[in-house]
Amino acid sequence: MNHAIRADKFLLDADRTTWHDETLWFVREKRDRAVYAVPEFQELRELASQIKDHTLSRLDNYLMEFEAAAQANGVHVHWAADATEHNAIILDIIRQQGATRIVKSKSMLTEECHLNPYLIKHGIEVVDTDLGERIIQFRGEAPSHIVLPAIHLKKEDVGDTFHRHLGTEKGESDPQRLTEAARQHLRAKFLAGQVAISGVNFAVAETGAVVVCTNEGNADLGVNLAQVHIACMGIEKLIPRLTDLGVFTRLLARSATGQPVTTYTSHFTKPAEGREMHIVIVDNGRTQQLGRPDFRASLKCIRCGACMNTCPVYRRSGGHSYDFTVPGPIGAILSPNIDMKKHASLPFASTLCGSCTDVCPVKIDIHTQLYKWRQVLGEASEIPASKKWSMKFMGRLLASPRIFGMSGQFARKALRLLPHGLTHSSAFNAWAVARELPEPPKQSFRDWYQQQPQSIEQPQHPKVPV
Amino acid sequence: MSNSRERILAAAKANKPVEISLPTVPVYGGDATVERFTTVLTSIGGQVVWLDGLGQLPEVLQQLFPDAKITASLLFQGTLPVDARTPTDILAEVDLAVLPGEIGVAENGAIWLPETNMLHRALPTITQHLALVLDHRRILATMHQAYAQLPSTGAYGKFVAGPSKTADIEQSLVIGAHGARSLVVLLY
Amino acid sequence: MKVALFVPCYIDQFYPQVGIATLQLLEKLGVTAHFPPQQTCCGQPLANSGCERDALPIYKHFVQTFQDYDYVVAPSGSCVYHVRKHFDKLEQTAEVQHVRGAAYDLIDFITNVLEVKELPGAFPHKVGLHLSCHGQRGLHQANESEMTPVRDGQLRRLLASLDGIELTHLNRNDECCGFGGTFCVSEAGISARMGQDRVADHVRNGTQVLTGSDMSCLMHLEGIVRRANMPIRVMHAAEILNGLTP
Repeated sequence: MNHAIRADKFLLDADRTTWHDETLWFVREKRDRAVYAVPEFQELRELASQIKDHTLSRLDNYLMEFEAAAQANGVHVHWAADATEHNAIILDIIRQQGATRIVKSKSMLTEECHLNPYLIKHGIEVVDTDLGERIIQFRGEAPSHIVLPAIHLKKEDVGDTFHRHLGTEKGESDPQRLTEAARQHLRAKFLAGQVAISGVNFAVAETGAVVVCTNEGNADLGVNLAQVHIACMGIEKLIPRLTDLGVFTRLLARSATGQPVTTYTSHFTKPAEGREMHIVIVDNGRTQQLGRPDFRASLKCIRCGACMNTCPVYRRSGGHSYDFTVPGPIGAILSPNIDMKKHASLPFASTLCGSCTDVCPVKIDIHTQLYKWRQVLGEASEIPASKKWSMKFMGRLLASPRIFGMSGQFARKALRLLPHGLTHSSAFNAWAVARELPEPPKQSFRDWYQQQPQSIEQPQHPKVPV
Repeated sequence: MSNSRERILAAAKANKPVEISLPTVPVYGGDATVERFTTVLTSIGGQVVWLDGLGQLPEVLQQLFPDAKITASLLFQGTLPVDARTPTDILAEVDLAVLPGEIGVAENGAIWLPETNMLHRALPTITQHLALVLDHRRILATMHQAYAQLPSTGAYGKFVAGPSKTADIEQSLVIGAHGARSLVVLLY
Repeated sequence: MKVALFVPCYIDQFYPQVGIATLQLLEKLGVTAHFPPQQTCCGQPLANSGCERDALPIYKHFVQTFQDYDYVVAPSGSCVYHVRKHFDKLEQTAEVQHVRGAAYDLIDFITNVLEVKELPGAFPHKVGLHLSCHGQRGLHQANESEMTPVRDGQLRRLLASLDGIELTHLNRNDECCGFGGTFCVSEAGISARMGQDRVADHVRNGTQVLTGSDMSCLMHLEGIVRRANMPIRVMHAAEILNGLTP
């Protein structure tokens, strides 16, 4: 199973592919308009990139500084080496509360750790309160985008789901009415929530605060009504100082959705009187990526999703075709660090067009890392054997002018002499599934050149026979 | 889990690159006018109304929210007194919360609302409608300037930019998700 | 100045007229380029497939072939981008560094080395300009829509200088065509879909002649145009600027 096979499934519905592609391109265009309106936007990208580079170069120091500041605020700080520990820590906190009703706002980290099924297995009710996440939770699906989890669904799909789970009228597909139904349903969950789990957009080392950005207000509502707040963060979410938020809050929403800022930018520093706040700091492969000089810059990611919106491949294959919590271009450079075998096809699911690199607010060199992962995979023999051996053969061919010339001649002759049905048979020729092969000329360029007199005049250039 | 803590810190120390210096971030400025603030906030679903002085507040609110029965406010006597100990089920009944904002940001229509101005941390999002009152002279151009003016973010505080919203259903913008259905900023 | 012509393998074999047009165009601009016959390939197909190590002998052969020239000009931004960026894997001898810096896409060479701003001639047709990713984002030969709404670049300006030409306003100025080298077979479905969408953008907006500076993109798009029997002529920019009519 690889990306190409899953992509082909997605592509079977050509109209739906068009709709998915256009919907995400529309988000990309909104991002563009927001970016054009900020004259210093490119400078901000450079600053954000440098702040993150600096932070990674002092990561252990900032982690300790953050922990100390948070603890001084009365916040409990936990450390989880991997997903298993992360899940166990959270269950333990919940059990200590005697709680069974959890509300959770968006956290890709908790997705990565498969927290929900773990808690449910232990008799805990977990309600994802972000609208997109609640929809896919009802459907038993994984998110297909890190910011727009239900972007692969049409409003009719959501209508069906809400009819089944919320009792909305059959056939109701108006987004306004569906959202209102979700508001009422989730409001009851917020009011009954005992423990609230949130993600972390930015963790400020200087103050020990965690910053959570949402449009819906679900993180604030959940956390501020519950007895206990558990904030889950990857080690790479750190930024040094409060003032650095000035840069990141100007980049995040513009890059993600084209909004100038998210509706709520909430700074949680101390728990409310009589309540509890916990932060779970997670590694789960991040320090390993930190140790890869070619790939550590991927840890600068602020999870905006701009790379997904701009990627022509992502738009036409959908997030599920990547089979990784974080899909798209950034997913393709994070995932081989976690499981090289399973995700070997992802760095190849790209034409290396470079658009992702252009939109990344923290200037991760995504397309270069895709290229470099290909070399790592090639060396580790994670590319298909047939490809490797044909490349070796091509290598010898292309280093030798004589063989090169002969094989080209052969190819052209074959293309001219063999019947169209054979040369264009999709069984032999993947190119020909969708395209005509080029018309084979009688002479190659080098043949023509050799026939020219020393001083090049203006001969009639040979017209290619139609 | 001190063992994991040590392992993670040791791995971070061993694997981090050579230190790169922290850049100096200019305090970018720009258009800090009421006009710009109003244009941006309106474009993101908020509403801006002028007050000819704080004394006008009750009258203007009555006009804007004639149907609001249960109101909570730091700025006048609402129908419901709210503080950090108000039970959830009472809070959930609030129609309108009227709170003072501290700083406005023209580039994105955001207003800084610290915990000390909220009555209860959940009030700004649990209320059906939210009104923030702001001295127009405290509108700045950018987030850099706003953060520079905050002495600290306190125990809890947030920037609020417009009403709650979502586009999670087919990228169709819906105003009023889980937080306040509407946001009015009253400038004086 | 000693200028060599690098003709990518697929142009040599399947689109010799593009090599010829390049040679003739340079001649018209006062440059007699030489085609060293022992040239083969820049190695990009192997390197992009994860076989960089197997490509090193090809890189070395490329350097040996071209090291005595002041400039190496190719009608292909992707090959030039590969030489400039990925030949860093070779030991950086003086020859290697020289060749990496001497490699130029044709349009870049005309614009920045020859400093030609306009070309004579008429081309009274509606021309759709396809921006190839390597040339645009890699070699900075044109503005990127990710950065600015202003559509401008080297080839746009040269084309605009031809009398009577009308440039198509595309819905998506610089979306990738989907060729991507071996991507066109390893992710054949997506590749085809991307190419079809590019062609549809041109058709929707009235393109009669589809052009660009990278024959790999054009080969892919032309294959799609011909399969769908569309009345669009695909021509490399070198051919148009050299005076060929559609």
